[in-house]
Amino acid sequence: MENTFELSVTVNGTSYQKVIDPRTLLSDFLRNDLELTGTHVGCEHGVCGACTIILNGDPVRSCLLFAPQVHGQEIITVEGLGTVDDMHPLQEAFREAHALQCGFCTPGFLTTLVPWLEENPNPTEEEIREAVSGNLCRCTGYQHIIDAVKLAAEKMN
Amino acid sequence: MKVEGEHLFSGTQQQVWDLFRDTEVMAAALPGTKKMELIGENTYEAVMNVRVGPVVGEFSGQLVISNEDHPTSYTMTVDGRGKPGFLKGVGDVILTNQGENQTLMGYTGEVQIGGKLVAVGQRLIDTVAKSIISQAFEILDNALAERESAEAEGREAAYRKSSESDYAATVAKDLIKNVLKRTGSSEDS
Amino acid sequence: MTYKVIGKRVKRVEDPRLLTGGALFVGDVNLPNMLHAAFFRSDYAHAKIKSIDTSLAKEIPGVVGVYTAEDMGEAWEPGPPLVSPPPTLEGVVFNSRRQVPLVKDKVKHAGEIIAVVVAESRYIAEDAVEEIYVDYEPLPAVTDLEKCLEPGHPLVHDDLDSNLAAYLVQNKGDYEAAKKEADLVLKRKFKLDRGAAVAMENRGIVVDWDQKNQHLMIWDTTQSPIPIRNGMAARLGLRTHQVRVVAPFVGGGFGPKIMMFYAEEMVLPWLTMKLNRPVKWIEDRKENFYATTQEREQVQEVEMALSKEGRILGIKQKIIHDTGAFDPYGLTTPLNTQSHSMGGYDVQNYNSELFVVFTNKIIVTPVRGAGRPQGIYVVERMLDIASKELKLDPRDVRRLNFIPKDAFPYNHEIIDQAFVELVLDSGNYLPAYEKALEKIEYDKFVQEEQPRLRAEGKYVGIGVVPFIETTGVGPYEGARVAVEPSGKISAATGVGTQGQSHMTSFAQIIAEELGVEVEDVSLVSGDTAEIHWGTGTFASRGAVVAGNAVLAAASDVRKKVLKLASKILETPEDELELEGGLVRVADIPEKSISLGELAVLANPFRGAVEPGTEPGLESTKYFGPAYGATAFGVHGMILEVDPETMMIKIHKYIAVEDCGTMLNPLVVEGQIHGGVSMGIGNAYYEKLHYDENAQLLNASLADYLIPTSAEMPHIEVYHENTPAPNNKLGTKGVGEAGAIPVPAAFAQALENALPDFNLEITETPLSPNRLYELLYKSEE
Repeated sequence: MENTFELSVTVNGTSYQKVIDPRTLLSDFLRNDLELTGTHVGCEHGVCGACTIILNGDPVRSCLLFAPQVHGQEIITVEGLGTVDDMHPLQEAFREAHALQCGFCTPGFLTTLVPWLEENPNPTEEEIREAVSGNLCRCTGYQHIIDAVKLAAEKMN
Repeated sequence: MKVEGEHLFSGTQQQVWDLFRDTEVMAAALPGTKKMELIGENTYEAVMNVRVGPVVGEFSGQLVISNEDHPTSYTMTVDGRGKPGFLKGVGDVILTNQGENQTLMGYTGEVQIGGKLVAVGQRLIDTVAKSIISQAFEILDNALAERESAEAEGREAAYRKSSESDYAATVAKDLIKNVLKRTGSSEDS
Repeated sequence: MTYKVIGKRVKRVEDPRLLTGGALFVGDVNLPNMLHAAFFRSDYAHAKIKSIDTSLAKEIPGVVGVYTAEDMGEAWEPGPPLVSPPPTLEGVVFNSRRQVPLVKDKVKHAGEIIAVVVAESRYIAEDAVEEIYVDYEPLPAVTDLEKCLEPGHPLVHDDLDSNLAAYLVQNKGDYEAAKKEADLVLKRKFKLDRGAAVAMENRGIVVDWDQKNQHLMIWDTTQSPIPIRNGMAARLGLRTHQVRVVAPFVGGGFGPKIMMFYAEEMVLPWLTMKLNRPVKWIEDRKENFYATTQEREQVQEVEMALSKEGRILGIKQKIIHDTGAFDPYGLTTPLNTQSHSMGGYDVQNYNSELFVVFTNKIIVTPVRGAGRPQGIYVVERMLDIASKELKLDPRDVRRLNFIPKDAFPYNHEIIDQAFVELVLDSGNYLPAYEKALEKIEYDKFVQEEQPRLRAEGKYVGIGVVPFIETTGVGPYEGARVAVEPSGKISAATGVGTQGQSHMTSFAQIIAEELGVEVEDVSLVSGDTAEIHWGTGTFASRGAVVAGNAVLAAASDVRKKVLKLASKILETPEDELELEGGLVRVADIPEKSISLGELAVLANPFRGAVEPGTEPGLESTKYFGPAYGATAFGVHGMILEVDPETMMIKIHKYIAVEDCGTMLNPLVVEGQIHGGVSMGIGNAYYEKLHYDENAQLLNASLADYLIPTSAEMPHIEVYHENTPAPNNKLGTKGVGEAGAIPVPAAFAQALENALPDFNLEITETPLSPNRLYELLYKSEE
């Protein structure tokens, strides 16, 4: 590579230093360079929300950022929310309410909702519908996702 | 897509006619034009950088003038393609004398567009096309005036060139204008 | 029959991995030394290729190769026909024209592949695609379904006389005679337009040819891994054991991922064998709009003859069905349209003439619903219009025409998509319909709420539509179930998962049969190394066909378990029970042996296996139904139209579903919710806009709008249960059900909401713009 960028970034609590092509999309960096393939790419134009990650506490679309834009910053991906044996209450609630079918869009919903629930601990159905209206799901019709968020809010309170 | 409109020039039919056949002027007027030259009788070759929303890329193609009825009307055929897609259009241009030193240019045409340009940029094309045209007319107005004064002063005409940043600003302005127009009209009804 | 595990709202086994980012999708497969492919696709929908210049692309550092059809040589051949036409019908015309890996001379739809670049990274491959130059001679595009059959019209396939892909007539009774008896003969023309499946995961394929092992490994986002394996082996001149296809977690299918083969699936195996390196291609969203199959475009002319009481005397139909540029999927979709054009009604006279046409648009194959929504749409719309003409309550017209409970099995006397007679196996339609009316409070709405809201100036309306769904068709599926020495159960079936919860629902069947926990069952559903025979996940058949194969295999393992345990515990089989991973004597629970111990004993290391027995506690069984299991449902909605903006708000949505025995109600409800969301899209938001040059004008998720949580109503789901008589579980499919009745119910509700306008809806999808036009037009 003639042109490279030396990227330092903290992902799920681990610091990484990687030499990358500066035009690498953040989504590709996470998936290919860090092998964190839980972040999914569904549209590459910022509409579907599947690639959402938490950047310095806020949900952002990793397909719309170049990796160098997160230099020196802190990221949480779906892998950082919980593990198979120790899931986040929202992940537990998603399972309990059958809020996922194919599961492809799910990481984006989780990363959108985890920060949101912290700020909105007692949401109404209408508020939840609005909160997830930027994430597309083709399997569930969103209903069980709404149920899961209500359930998670109860669990977390 | 249908294209139509009109513009009043401060010049005679003959002057406007000549203006439109001057490749230097036309290249200056159309934003993103990298090259425009006459390659045969009434056939021009052009290379133009096109930017419609997220779609950017170079177009190259030919422009042919036919059905000439000097100095009142002609037909223009455009056929271009490039990475963002393709474009094919036919249009008629009519110049009518509107009194002393005033010429009304009317144009109607049908343009077919394909590829990425319509697949992704479709919602923006109309506004972008109008922006290009309105900006071109502004530059042509200036060019016409410059020609006249240059001729009077016996010097070479120096044309202002359309820059891509001017063009981008015009598009943004037009898009906002359109949005305002829409919200305005719904209040009216 | 009472079950302990089947029918329970069991949490899914597959979820923890999916929820924590640990599930493998095709896009996650990264191999050492892997190359990446990107495709050069035609911008033109119909054009001759004059020349292709790939020289600049080849010079880009990191590009390994750029290939065109010519480079493929002998390996270039079109895809196989997936489905042939029904051999049982007379006078069938079928012109089979299949998609090609790389275009040789003439492009037939925008998005067709002309060249492929292979490079060290996808970024480089895409750079190189930008440097490929193709000189075309554009041709007029074929887009209009009705005009395209006129003489002299441009041809998609130059070797044919016309754009006719197929023609057939299906007939039951004597429509013309019935018409003479009719009090009302209605004629209407319907236009049903195209939509996209929009699985959230785009397609993808990773291939790896192992030269030394002479083995081809394929990860593919397919709904049908076994047919892909078989077809690929045949295509490449390999034995089936030399090819392994894995469809790991697949991010939504909805039909288009059944297609075989997509051009990319034909090109990539050729590349890995040529270059001897793994190659990966993941479709991007724009490609998904241009290269992944679509559905629903039809023009129909329908005539319905009725008595003055509203009894349907007969239906006559002419369907023009758009198959796009090729017809690899045969007649499945339009046959489904015919199968559903009589709905769940007792119709004695039916005549349907089908024209399938080629156009320069993306290939058509089934999308969730697969021709069924179009059939239900026309019959339900005709009944609504007839009710108005006859001044009858539309509910009474339906009640009068339902196939009565005692008439099942009911033979509709035409051929369905499986080429067998369309026999509706069972049903009890009227109570489900009444339940829906009750749950949506129809009477209360029309008598109290609607007049009150109208007085307030609100446009609210109600629509309730019943529908059938033919499901669970053959040919067959298989399952293998085995007890491991650990006592855990391993199972496999050929129907891959795209979100249908196979790993849980099928585990419930096995857990029920073998007395183990659902979590102890590990089921592989999309790996050809695990099971040799099968077809795939489509046509709402998983729970019926694979489910019953799983049951058969588990039952057989149970028999083996009991036989061996009986010998060891010295107790007759009928005194034994399977519970908690043990076989125990019913009356003496402490006298028991674990399944694990039995599995070890069933596979002895020394000594002789008795003649006539097999080692292990394992069984592979198949299930193939003679004809499908037909589900039934009724959907109802109450909606409000904003007369200023034409925006719609659905205030109430109910679904009454009869899919026979439910394996897991949570999963059934999830399937319905998802189906309804696609149906709502098909009704009001989703339409693929093609212009007269067959250019797709909304090829992005910013322009093609699928419903978000803001458009979706809360859906109440209610269940009825008429078990399917032809399979042991009594299951009927439900995967596509949700999508089928929505456009028809939506149209009924819209007309009901706007009584002041002389509105008659005969097209779908609508949109705010289109509704405005219709209201404006009908006001004139």
